[in-house]
Amino acid sequence: MRVSFNWLRELVPVEETPSKVAELLTLSGTKVEAIHRPGESINGVIVAEVIDIGEHPNADNLSLVEVRINDADTRRVVCGARNFAVGDHVALAPVGSTLPEMAVSERRIRGAISQGMLCSGAELGVSKDHSGILVLPPDSAEGEDVVTALGLDDTILEFEITFNRPDCLGMIGIAREVAALTGTELEMPDAAPATPSDGASPVDVAILDPSGCPRYVARYIEGLRTGPSPGWMATRLAAAGFRPISNVVDTTNYILLETGHPIHAFDADKVTDHQIVVRRAEGGECITTLDGIERTLDAADLMIADPSRALAIAGVMGGADSEVTEGTADVILESAYFDPASVGASSRRHLLRTEASARFERGADFDAAPYAAARATKLIVQLAGGRPSGDMTDAYPVPLERRSISLAPRKTEALLGMRIAAARQVSYLESLGFRVTIGDETLAAEAPSFRPDIQRDVDLIEEVARLAGFDGLPSTLPRGVAGGLDSRQLAERRLRRTLAAAGMHEAWTTSWASERDLDALALPTDHPARSVVEVANPMSEDERHLRTTLLPGLLRSAAHNLAHRVEGVAMFEIARIYRPTGGLPQEPLLLSAVFCGLHRPQRWHGPGEHWSFWAAKGVLEAVLTAMGVGETEWSKVTGMPWHPTRAANITAAGVTLGTMGELHPDVCERFKVEQGAVVAELALGPLVDAQPGRVKVRDLPRFPAAYMDLSVVVEEAVPAQTVETIIRHAGAPELVEVRMFDLYRGEQVPGDHKSLAYGLELRVPDGTLTDTQANQVRDRVIRALHDQAGAELRS
Amino acid sequence: MSDEIDTEVTQLFEGARKEGLSVIETAHDLHALGEAKVRVLGRKSALSSARSGLRGAPEEKRRSLGQLANAVQTELEAAVAAKQRGFEASERAARWDREAIDVTLPGDAPSLGSLHPLTQTVWEIVDIFIGLGFKVAEGPEVELAKYNFDALNTPAHHPARSPQDTFYIKEGEEEFVLRTQTSPMQIRVMESQEPPVYVVVPGRCYRRDVQDATHLSGFTQIEGLAVDEGITMGDLKGSLQLVAREIFGRDLDVRLRPHHFDFTEPSAELDVQCFACRGSGCRICKQEGWIEVLGCGMVHPYLLEWVGYDTHRYSGFAFGMGPERIAALAHGVADIRMFYENDLRFLNQFGGIR
Repeated sequence: MRVSFNWLRELVPVEETPSKVAELLTLSGTKVEAIHRPGESINGVIVAEVIDIGEHPNADNLSLVEVRINDADTRRVVCGARNFAVGDHVALAPVGSTLPEMAVSERRIRGAISQGMLCSGAELGVSKDHSGILVLPPDSAEGEDVVTALGLDDTILEFEITFNRPDCLGMIGIAREVAALTGTELEMPDAAPATPSDGASPVDVAILDPSGCPRYVARYIEGLRTGPSPGWMATRLAAAGFRPISNVVDTTNYILLETGHPIHAFDADKVTDHQIVVRRAEGGECITTLDGIERTLDAADLMIADPSRALAIAGVMGGADSEVTEGTADVILESAYFDPASVGASSRRHLLRTEASARFERGADFDAAPYAAARATKLIVQLAGGRPSGDMTDAYPVPLERRSISLAPRKTEALLGMRIAAARQVSYLESLGFRVTIGDETLAAEAPSFRPDIQRDVDLIEEVARLAGFDGLPSTLPRGVAGGLDSRQLAERRLRRTLAAAGMHEAWTTSWASERDLDALALPTDHPARSVVEVANPMSEDERHLRTTLLPGLLRSAAHNLAHRVEGVAMFEIARIYRPTGGLPQEPLLLSAVFCGLHRPQRWHGPGEHWSFWAAKGVLEAVLTAMGVGETEWSKVTGMPWHPTRAANITAAGVTLGTMGELHPDVCERFKVEQGAVVAELALGPLVDAQPGRVKVRDLPRFPAAYMDLSVVVEEAVPAQTVETIIRHAGAPELVEVRMFDLYRGEQVPGDHKSLAYGLELRVPDGTLTDTQANQVRDRVIRALHDQAGAELRS
Repeated sequence: MSDEIDTEVTQLFEGARKEGLSVIETAHDLHALGEAKVRVLGRKSALSSARSGLRGAPEEKRRSLGQLANAVQTELEAAVAAKQRGFEASERAARWDREAIDVTLPGDAPSLGSLHPLTQTVWEIVDIFIGLGFKVAEGPEVELAKYNFDALNTPAHHPARSPQDTFYIKEGEEEFVLRTQTSPMQIRVMESQEPPVYVVVPGRCYRRDVQDATHLSGFTQIEGLAVDEGITMGDLKGSLQLVAREIFGRDLDVRLRPHHFDFTEPSAELDVQCFACRGSGCRICKQEGWIEVLGCGMVHPYLLEWVGYDTHRYSGFAFGMGPERIAALAHGVADIRMFYENDLRFLNQFGGIR
């Protein structure tokens, strides 16, 4: 909502400056988003009359235009536009004048001297039109400053009006707020048409759906002449963002701006029998609206019709074939009150938001319909001639009642935590148009018809509070409870910190996904991630469903970085995925990670290292240990998106944690990440549930340990983890630590075999281990390895 | 024993001293000094043989001659020790030279990761509320329209419900939406417990906004809710003032400005004095001098009634804020899409574990 301050001042005798008024309104809930001063940057531009249009000697597309600025003074300018004629008034920016974007100087254009320029609306900053120069209204005076001629010596306040305040979508509503804030009186514009009634209304109104249309006021005006609006009206409309069309149409828009009440004008000749029928649409009915679009109506759409056809979608937009045009002589003015829900539904159904629908769907003023019609009549008669014919029709089958609400002034004080005397509360409400009756403990406030938002006592409390000013509220603190994070929330934070401490960067990617992501991962059709939650109204093809894996987002982030010459990426994300259930989806958290490129860059004393499966596994193992997850088992996994022989399922105590491995080379290629990229995707639940709990310290050993190394040769197919498990089991209880330190393949072991070397730490709690004891353990381990894994001691 | 003998022995000692000092003096390294030490102080040294001459000396002279012998020995030992210290010192000095390094060569840093700036911002805000006695809850992003709109007092015909503004989900028979705010968690939390309620709810929300530097179709919110006996709008103001100042600067002005939300009454927006220009107006605050930080208000009795709380006994306040916006303001991020791009050159600036 854009409000001309000059116009506002006609409605309320405010002394304060525009900035001060803007501040008062902002701090009482009617927020000013911007203040514009359109005339501020225009200097020396004047109204001139075109007296001659001649050819430019050297350019076919330019003309030499002679304009007169007073009886004695003319100027010749070069002009490229041709949308004007001799006699038109135009805006001349003579040499030395300034426009918002330029200072005008004398120029030679294709050999002809131009003593200034003729301005387009865009050059003056009053519109976006630079297709031609701006032709001024004929009532502007030659030589007059364009700033005053166009009413640009004004301040425009741009408001953000919240959904609950339809009354502030009109000048009168804003003026009422200003009056309440400054202690002045609102001056309602004069509406009463002077013409006495000459009989019954020629318009017959039948409301077939009184719940959709509780009230319909119609006024017949005959014998008018359409034509351009006067400058003052065109200026105000333009300042508010409306394009001036003709005096009748402009008046309906002007009344909408002024009163906040949308009205519509039909060409009376196009309304069969001058009969208005308000009804729901019929099956298959169509209408071509003013925007030229043919719309098929829904049975729930409320229509304005005549006996033969639909004329308008009620409260949303008129129809093209009953539109007021140049030849229109008689009009039927409509000023109605429509049900907000009905208008809102039609507006949404037809994806058609208009100035009218925006006001009706928020709730118009049901008492304002006759006033708006009368005010419009006055203006139309004034601007387009014609005269009202017969009485106004006011179809109002079941009058709507103003809501009366009771409020205990003490409740206001209790809810706000601030003292406001009951008498002050009453005067605040009265200043806003409430009729207040005072009782013993409570007061009763009747809400004005233009305040559909006032429903119960807290709404009154808000009115009182915003006029009293939130500045006066005290600053106190509530008592609170024992706040804090629960154990899972703490564990999740520990997990994120541990991952970062391990050198990983946390990423946040969006929840959107599409089939394309899953295809890029080459997931089979029966893969669980293929079962997705679909968005009914996605904004793009790539956002058709909610993600079932975090990998595509992370891989795209990795690729983005690699494309920007980042050498290595180690990134993780902890976020939700979405699994359909038929009811509300499950939204489990996952931890996913991607490792690619350099793990360590080349340094002056050592070579660079790429991320490998083992480097990434080490990070994950360290993190799992820190989270208190016990021993993990790693078993090979196949199937997309994994490398066929380089990926593992991870379990701990029989619970599946997730999968980690190299991506399939084809997937790497599709996501544009380096071959060999390692990714992991784990369920978060088991990690944050593991809960190492409070640390209980083990006594440090008091006796020395025995250390020994063991090299064994096994078949290639035997996993290292199997060998280590055998060692641990066979070596218990003396064996307390096993660490693999070498892996050898080559001449010294048979083909298809490998040698694994382990360092063993042995100890007993109550003394020093003897050589005999140590050798017994060693023999046990060697025997078990032989029996269970076919291992031989490497000689 | 005659005086001649006395003089002779004295001369022997004197000779041993002179010769010894000269031998020690000529030793040119530690090894030579070792040999010299044996030569001048060992069993076959001149000093040693002079001492053996003492055995023939008369009793009354032996004492003074013995003292002389000791003095010579002490002097020679001291000379050896001094010489040795000299050699050791130059040996060390040579070692230090050999071991010299260029301390300006780059160190070998372990790679530290980073927590995402939005994680850091959410934690920072949540932690302030924890300090005020709040707990933390989370809830579903795919939500019943009933919770996202109806229970929050959204009018049936409100445009926010339109499929132009809200994402709808195809699933089963009930109508689901992607929550447009974390506010439905107000209802879920109140339904799950009796007052007092002090809770903050961080989480993702979704709106059909065309993405630009300040809008995302998926974004984060932090909801807050306090319901207890005697909660006032003053409590709302005090709590949020404190939080805003902790985040943006303790010396900044904070103001509440009336606004409208369906689920609070009275409703307000909280503005913080622009931290860049301190209120005089600049590009960051769009010349307003104030920066809008969050929306808030007193819990609408409609919600309390919905969950079956006694509205005569309990009142509450609620608020919602956007970590993307707050992080963007606090860190000078011009385009909030940066937060979801995960450019390491951006993330690294938030490095170190906070």
